[in-house]
Amino acid sequence: MADIIDVQVPDVGGDDVEVIELCVAVGDTVAKEDSLITVESDKASMDIPSPGAGTITQITVAIGDKINEGSVIVKLAVEQSTAPESAPEPEPQAPQKAPAQPVEQATTELEAFPPSVVGVQIVEVRVPDIGTEEEVDVIEVLVGPGDNVLQEDGLITVETDKATMDVPSPAPGLVKEVIIKNGDKVKQGSLIIMLEVCHTEEVKVVVPTSTIGTKVAEPKAKRPIDLPTTRPVPFHPMARGKTSDSVYSSPSVRRVGREFGVDMTKVSGTGRKNRILKEDVQAYVKYELSRPKATAAANISSGGGGLQLIAQPKVDFAKFGEIEKTPLTRIQKISGPNLHRNWVTIPHVTQFEEADITDVEAFRKEQNEIGKKQKLDVKITPLVFIMKALAKSLEAFPVFNSSLHEDGEHLVMKKYIHIGIAVDTPKGLVVPVVRDVNKKGIYDLSRELMELSGKAREGKLKVQEMQGGCMTISSLGGIGGTAFTPIVNAPEVAILGVSKSEIKPKWDGAAFQPRLMLPLSLSYDHRVIDGALAAKFAVHLGGIMSDIRKLIL
Amino acid sequence: MSNEIKTQVVVLGAGPGGYSAAFRAADLGLDVVLVESRATLGGVCLNVGCIPSKALLHVAKVIDDAKAMASHGVTFGEPQIDLDKIRGWKDSVVSQLTGGLTGMAKARKVTTVNGYGKFTGSNTIAVEGADGTTTITFDQAIVAAGSEPVSLPFIPEDPRIFDSTGALELADVPGELLVLGGGIIGLEMGTVYRALGSNVSVVEFLDQLVPAADKDVVRVYSTYNKKRFNIMLSTKVTAVEAKEDGLYVTFEGKKAPAEPVRYDKILVAVGRTPNGKKVDAEKAGVTVTDRGFIEVDNQQRTNVNNIFAIGDVVGQPMLAHKAVHEAHVAAEVISGMKHYFDPKCIPSIAYTDPEIAWVGLTEREAKEQGLNYEVAKFPWAASGRAIASARTEGMTKMIFDKDNGRVIGGAIVGINAGEMLGEIGLAIEMGADAEDIGLTIHAHPTLNESIGLACEIFEGSITDLPNAKAKKKK
Repeated sequence: MADIIDVQVPDVGGDDVEVIELCVAVGDTVAKEDSLITVESDKASMDIPSPGAGTITQITVAIGDKINEGSVIVKLAVEQSTAPESAPEPEPQAPQKAPAQPVEQATTELEAFPPSVVGVQIVEVRVPDIGTEEEVDVIEVLVGPGDNVLQEDGLITVETDKATMDVPSPAPGLVKEVIIKNGDKVKQGSLIIMLEVCHTEEVKVVVPTSTIGTKVAEPKAKRPIDLPTTRPVPFHPMARGKTSDSVYSSPSVRRVGREFGVDMTKVSGTGRKNRILKEDVQAYVKYELSRPKATAAANISSGGGGLQLIAQPKVDFAKFGEIEKTPLTRIQKISGPNLHRNWVTIPHVTQFEEADITDVEAFRKEQNEIGKKQKLDVKITPLVFIMKALAKSLEAFPVFNSSLHEDGEHLVMKKYIHIGIAVDTPKGLVVPVVRDVNKKGIYDLSRELMELSGKAREGKLKVQEMQGGCMTISSLGGIGGTAFTPIVNAPEVAILGVSKSEIKPKWDGAAFQPRLMLPLSLSYDHRVIDGALAAKFAVHLGGIMSDIRKLIL
Repeated sequence: MSNEIKTQVVVLGAGPGGYSAAFRAADLGLDVVLVESRATLGGVCLNVGCIPSKALLHVAKVIDDAKAMASHGVTFGEPQIDLDKIRGWKDSVVSQLTGGLTGMAKARKVTTVNGYGKFTGSNTIAVEGADGTTTITFDQAIVAAGSEPVSLPFIPEDPRIFDSTGALELADVPGELLVLGGGIIGLEMGTVYRALGSNVSVVEFLDQLVPAADKDVVRVYSTYNKKRFNIMLSTKVTAVEAKEDGLYVTFEGKKAPAEPVRYDKILVAVGRTPNGKKVDAEKAGVTVTDRGFIEVDNQQRTNVNNIFAIGDVVGQPMLAHKAVHEAHVAAEVISGMKHYFDPKCIPSIAYTDPEIAWVGLTEREAKEQGLNYEVAKFPWAASGRAIASARTEGMTKMIFDKDNGRVIGGAIVGINAGEMLGEIGLAIEMGADAEDIGLTIHAHPTLNESIGLACEIFEGSITDLPNAKAKKKK
């Protein structure tokens, strides 16, 4: 007997993702982990695997649909014996059979995968077949102990003589130990990490034992976890690993490809027996021109980034002196295309302002002295006051706390105030988000900020901790500079740049007074915010910083 | 007298590559000057290569065919050979074609400069001609300087020793002719002289005639010609002594006669060497390899941005049809098109009797590259047309990628093999597979249908032969 279950979208690390491919049809029989659909977020494309074996009875999404976590993708008829643990919504089922507490216990231990996870096992993750028997260099380790990884998340980046590729995680889980370090040489079979894998198969085991009071996480999986044999993927999402010799197209079509500089191994043919037709090349070029570039490299090399621009001339730098080629970091590769998109698509204006922070600085230092005496173990930084002042300003000017709706005809006004803080890390720029800044006190914010920036520098931020920002602060005050023009962190509509404060003579009506002035650079999306409003916002913000008593008004 | 010309494009050499480049560039709207040292256009191919040799091979074929008819009931008398008339006919073939080129050059307003052109800088060429030096200042140049026969150091200077050019002059029909080199050129000229009445010996250093082709294909040729030629494989000539009564040749190797053998004439056909070093390319900054080749990228551009090279001078295979395609690419790139020389295969043909033709990968290459390939051979003994022509020695051999059935190579040995090769080349370029060709209806009875039938062998649908892939009935 078969049960029909709804297969839902798991946590895909983003808000909305677009369905770009349907991998199954109604009536298809799928095995567990078979791909059902392919979705594309602004960061990557990924396959959504089937949670169990069965037959597809209905497909409820279409190509081009925007879906998010929890959306129903397909209806799957599963054999009943495997249905309960395969279903992606064990919550309504498991608690019915088992006392709530043990289940809760398990989920708290594995917070990243709360709904369906009840069993853990430590597995060794080794280098899969990378297409060569030679040893290859590890050029980047992308995870650290304690990281949560999703299936297909890159673990390490290796470089062969042919390509640079990420070795993906074979399963979602928690990184317990990283065996490999940068610069190591590895080959197929080398141990990369120890991964604590969470899986749903254990429901059966867990339920009876927990009823008699045993701890949930204890029973080790008897069955070896079915790790999918994933091959490492080259960075380009369209890459198929074909060689040019095997490209199936006629000379005239190859010529068209050459003219557009198309790597024909990346074009899928729609002709008979997947022959590449002229139309396929044209469609590929059109697609490549229209889509935001998936990698920084593609962006830089095409030069145009979707705009009809001429390419950058190729320069042989070695002609002018010694050079060295170093790879972009993972964060640079991801953030580069986003920054580029924001820079070219948002009409930016930057408003400059100076805030008199003489008094607030005096107050801050005083409080830190007191805090030290009281051993509060927290240090207040000027940034926290800026955050508070910004939160207050956002309340006063709600249009700054908005996003353009995708329909182009509405603004999404936010009733919450979460502020992103741009943090410079060795691997690149990240923006952790501090939630509900308007509701938190200076000490709470200081502690939270310390914790988040620490995590950011260690590369341990979770996806959730970098989402949901309303406006971003980019502070270079600790370094220097008088002003700069930050790029709006879309879908936010404004960003506040902070430069180094300086004592300047200010006329008080009778004499020049030495005042500590903080330069502020407010970049905003001119489609949403008028110049006059931005000036008012900047003045308002500066006013609060000059006299923080306004915070309590 | 000295003369100065300024032009957008200069082409050095007017062989098939050179004139094609010049004409293509002119048709794309560029000012073109074509420099040629010969009095006529067309280069080696038209003047002393492909074309005159085909005229003589036609003569040989008719002689042989007429003789062969004796066993089928038609007997002709012994042929009366008028060498002067044959030569005159051959020359008329050549002049018809070269004259046609001169006319086409005029029609395209391509300026031709007669003389040997050499670079004097990266934008200048000096041409030494009969009436002084012409200095050509150019924006872009295409080097199509071609190649010339290799001469061997131990062979003495003697009028009785000639290369392919000398052989085509057809001065006389020697009683005993030694062909040094068992490649395409040597065998073609050997075929001509044997038909005219010479006793022809062929000496080849390697263990196979036409070494680039597959052994089984060449074996068909060798077997058919066993009685026509004295073939000495794995053998080399170590000395040639020119005496009054003949040329005494000392051999060494597997088939070497113990004593020196006397020949009336020797044809040296051991290969061709590129003319890269003869045009002072280094004065333009162009790199020339030790062996005389000029290296180019896949747009035919040399290491100097405004200088291109095509044809024999850029590398193997030294074939006119390769040069023509490279020529078009070079001219198109100069005119601003983003074109590339990007063929999957280049055909080769020995116009011998029987002809040997191949394109794409040979079986040897497929094996060396470790490909998962399968061969299907259709023997012409099963071809109605071949039997009706009394030429059943032929064979059609197709090589397929076993993974997807696509044609990756093919070879044909037999009469008219060269004319049939085009289909296989097209199949490789188009990525056609055995099924595609097998399902294409080939006319019956033709020799050409053997290609379709070879594909049916691979597919297991052949009915004109026992089918090895047929399902066994219980």
